[in-house]
Amino acid sequence: MDSLVVSNIRQRPLRSAISVLGVALGVALVMLFTGLAHGMSDDLQKRSSNVSAEILFTRPGSLQINTASTNLSTKYVELLQKVEGVESVTPVIRYFYSSGAWGVDQVEGVEWDSFSQMNNIRIIKGQAPRSPDEIVIDETKAARNHPVGSTLKVFGDRLYRVAGIYAPESGARAKMMLGALQDSLEAPEKCTFIYVKVKNPAEQVAVAKRIDEAFPGNKVQLTRELFATIENSIPGLTIFLRVLVILSAIVSALVIMLAMHTTITERTREIGILKAMGASRFYIISAIEREAILISFLGLLVGFALAWLAGVGIHKTTSLIFDFSLKWALVAAAIGLLGGALGAFYPAARAANLDPVNALAYE
Amino acid sequence: MATILKAENLEKTYRVGKVDVPALRGVSLAVQEGEFIGIMGPSGCGKSTMLHLLGGLLTPTKGRIVIDGEDLTAATDAKRTDIRRRKIGFVFQRFNLFPTLTAEGNLRLAERIHGNGSGDAERRHEILRMLRLEDKMHHKPLELSGGEQQRVALARAVVNRPAIVLADEPTGNLDSENSEIVLNMFRELNDRFNQTIIMITHNPEAAAACQRVIQMRDGHIV
Repeated sequence: MDSLVVSNIRQRPLRSAISVLGVALGVALVMLFTGLAHGMSDDLQKRSSNVSAEILFTRPGSLQINTASTNLSTKYVELLQKVEGVESVTPVIRYFYSSGAWGVDQVEGVEWDSFSQMNNIRIIKGQAPRSPDEIVIDETKAARNHPVGSTLKVFGDRLYRVAGIYAPESGARAKMMLGALQDSLEAPEKCTFIYVKVKNPAEQVAVAKRIDEAFPGNKVQLTRELFATIENSIPGLTIFLRVLVILSAIVSALVIMLAMHTTITERTREIGILKAMGASRFYIISAIEREAILISFLGLLVGFALAWLAGVGIHKTTSLIFDFSLKWALVAAAIGLLGGALGAFYPAARAANLDPVNALAYE
Repeated sequence: MATILKAENLEKTYRVGKVDVPALRGVSLAVQEGEFIGIMGPSGCGKSTMLHLLGGLLTPTKGRIVIDGEDLTAATDAKRTDIRRRKIGFVFQRFNLFPTLTAEGNLRLAERIHGNGSGDAERRHEILRMLRLEDKMHHKPLELSGGEQQRVALARAVVNRPAIVLADEPTGNLDSENSEIVLNMFRELNDRFNQTIIMITHNPEAAAACQRVIQMRDGHIV
């Protein structure tokens, strides 16, 4: 490593640290946003993949990513059961509620026996919910200091006792009796959707068509299509992530440009000395670029560390999940380094074109 | 002895606002290899302008400069930089060392710029020994006295075996004791390595160390 580059960075530790932090913030933002999108998407897919039902029957618009309506009559349960090719059905209420100061959580009301049987879900500790004030939770939620016998707030200040822990994870992390949730929501004989399991999975499309024809005006979806990635489910998320990446690159470039511009002004005389010693334009530009890239590289390391720490901290205080992918880490690294290199280029070129006599006379 | 530097009818005019200010008005000079030349004259007579022209830091308005067979005035900016890198060593009144680098770092930087990555260790040690700097190599400029700093600057200027050393009042910032030490170093470099030196000075004692002294006045050699 060129000692002039290292010694220049060490000469102004505060400014170097601020530059490193500027790059780090851009990198950390990219990592956090993409990590959050992937983490939540993967989590949703993982939980969705444990649903064995092939068909989801609901009202149009009643089930969204973060909202749900309880407006489907449970009378359909009996009617669906009679459709040719249907093996079993089970109604579910999905309810979203605010969780603490940070996020949104969800609870499902289910008929435990039919739901667990259909989806191969078992109680691994404790017991199934047997009274209106009991819930069961999955292992991830239990690991957040909610053992069997503890209490959880689901609706405002209302406490529910954790009766059991189930596995594998499926849908909402907390489930209670369907009737208990209907009562709480004052929605008797209503649900959000009905899971339908078919006798022969190879015929699920035909069964779905039969249901659609038998009950027009409702929504019939195949679960395999429903649980596509969250990136595709949320309109504009991919564009948002790309814009974020571009903005981060611009922030990195501007931080480095400002730092290098100040550096060049401060070191005008030294650049004059370099020129007097016969340093070429290329040498001067490359020396400044090396300094910028070293600062950017340090910014990358700090940015990755910040993102990881923030991800762990946010996960601990909310239910948000971060999944940092190598692909986005490489993208963040590329924009950090490229932004730094591009940002330094103008001040570097300006330095290389300084008049040596004026630079030597600079006070 | 071969002519290592030849300047013919050099003119340099600065443009200050809308006014032309002539600094050199037709200066011709020939320097032989191994000469130690002093340039004296009052402030504003064109000494520094001439040194900057000879070093390729400025281009003349008129005239021609040939250094070691290469025409400096016909060269592009990049070529002039290249000639300066290979053939010229500068020593300044204010030392102009890199404050963040040690004395050794300053020398190594000169070697890197010259394209001599690992440097000529034997040459470096010989010069450091001669300039009595061997035990100062790990000191930064602010940890050195003025005389020591100027000796490091001198070592930096000659470490790559330049054809000519151009020194702009090298003793101007030194007390008489350190001036004497630095002048002795110049003399020794000239004697032992046959180093060609052109030195601007206001100091008659410094001028006395030179083999030839050129007097300048109003942009002319007198």
